Amino acid sequence: MSVGLTPTEQVILNMGPQHPSTHGVLRLKLTLEGEVIVGCDPVIGYLHRGMEKIAENRTYAQFIPYTDRLDYLSSASNNEAFVLAVERIASIEVPPRAQYLRVILLELNRIASHLVFVATFANDLAATTAFLYGFREREVIMDLFEMWTGARLTQSWIRIGGVGSDLPEGFEKKAHEFCRMLGPRLAEYDELLTGNRIFRARTEGVGLLPPEAGIDYACSGPTLRGSGVPFDLRRAEPYEVYSRLGFDVVTDEACDCMGRYRVRMEEMRQSVHIIEQCLDQLPQGEVLAKVPRALRPAAGEAYGRVESPRGEFACYVVSDGGTSPLRVRLRAPSFYHMAALPEMVRGWKIGDVVAILGSLDIVLGEIDR
Amino acid sequence: MIEHLKAHFGEDIESAEQVGREVRVRLRPAALVAVCRFCKERGYRYPADITAVDTGSEMRVVYRLVSLDNGEHAVISAGVPRSGASLPSITGVFRGADWPEREVYDLFGVRFVSHPDLRRILLTDDWQGFPLLKTGSVQDR
Repeated sequence: MSVGLTPTEQVILNMGPQHPSTHGVLRLKLTLEGEVIVGCDPVIGYLHRGMEKIAENRTYAQFIPYTDRLDYLSSASNNEAFVLAVERIASIEVPPRAQYLRVILLELNRIASHLVFVATFANDLAATTAFLYGFREREVIMDLFEMWTGARLTQSWIRIGGVGSDLPEGFEKKAHEFCRMLGPRLAEYDELLTGNRIFRARTEGVGLLPPEAGIDYACSGPTLRGSGVPFDLRRAEPYEVYSRLGFDVVTDEACDCMGRYRVRMEEMRQSVHIIEQCLDQLPQGEVLAKVPRALRPAAGEAYGRVESPRGEFACYVVSDGGTSPLRVRLRAPSFYHMAALPEMVRGWKIGDVVAILGSLDIVLGEIDR
Repeated sequence: MIEHLKAHFGEDIESAEQVGREVRVRLRPAALVAVCRFCKERGYRYPADITAVDTGSEMRVVYRLVSLDNGEHAVISAGVPRSGASLPSITGVFRGADWPEREVYDLFGVRFVSHPDLRRILLTDDWQGFPLLKTGSVQDR
């Protein structure tokens, strides 16, 4: 009797649209040969709300709350990209204090988003304790947002010309407390997760993204930096006051799930550093420039790029001089990362898809728009 | 960069101007793939975005290629008719062009010739019409 490889029939497996590890409504059409993935076709659009079309029928200021609903884990980044583009077309000068407040809001958003990443990523890989830890720390940030903006998630606090309001009484003290608290907590995560043998076995060497492929697919953010490419828009094209702040662009040469995880962990520490600098340097003054209520920017176009927690979030706004934009294009980083997923999962098994997809930290709200 | 492009592609470059860190180039569709490859070879390796703009009177597809070395953007646009438009696909130059081209097809109806897998991406397969055209109302189904 000869023992050889048994030819296997290809099987199509639908992962999602309702699947706890797809982080929203995503369907992956996987082609399997035995247990091994030979093809992957992501089916997206379940959350499509026609945001770009809606924008053409709203005034500039009216569209800001819509942007919150794109990447809902870091709504400030979305506000910022849209507002940056509009301010460029309309040549609006933002008061210095407002610029610092924006950075504080953006970086708190980044930490909150990365904490959700660590929590859900760990949970996907069956480390439930880390899930609870992540959400515990994030809750403090949510309280800070609520205190300042009245909202926890969809703040719409970055407005054309500045921010919605100045910091409330006691905010700075609480923010400092949070910054002091987070470092030791992240050290706990490291003990619990980063060196954990199971966690390492699931993530090290899994889902490789070579740097050239990452650039070719227009990947950005921690996904690209986890492949060793030091591309960070806060450095490459500084907006607001980032050029005055000291922080490291975190990269990792591993190109795998672990590399992307480590980049985000270190970025939280850098964000804490940025927030502390902003609180120390915060100048006095106005927080909102005088902007006409019915804004009619001159005809023209601008591209506002922001380093969101996921990567390059950009708004391409075209104006014809009217009160509504002629065209708003929303460039979402997760969309590009999802396009690279089929190549990253090929040759791995279903359990690894969970790890690889989790390591990209996608948000379907911005993919489907 | 503008001089290089004009020297290499001559008549195919309809207009070119430098605005801040953006090199805005308008070209004939026939030269699209060659110009994109030319840019990629000169460091514009990151295909940040592909989209279209319909102003109501004319339509153009806009490609934004970014250089990670000097931070310059090559913003390449090609005019297309508003119905039955087609352009050569640049998926042979940038793998990342696959999905954005599908999206432009899905929402504007531009067909990309030699795209490996041109299907709708955000809307359902049986959707009628292209919602981001100024002529297409949101009620189109």
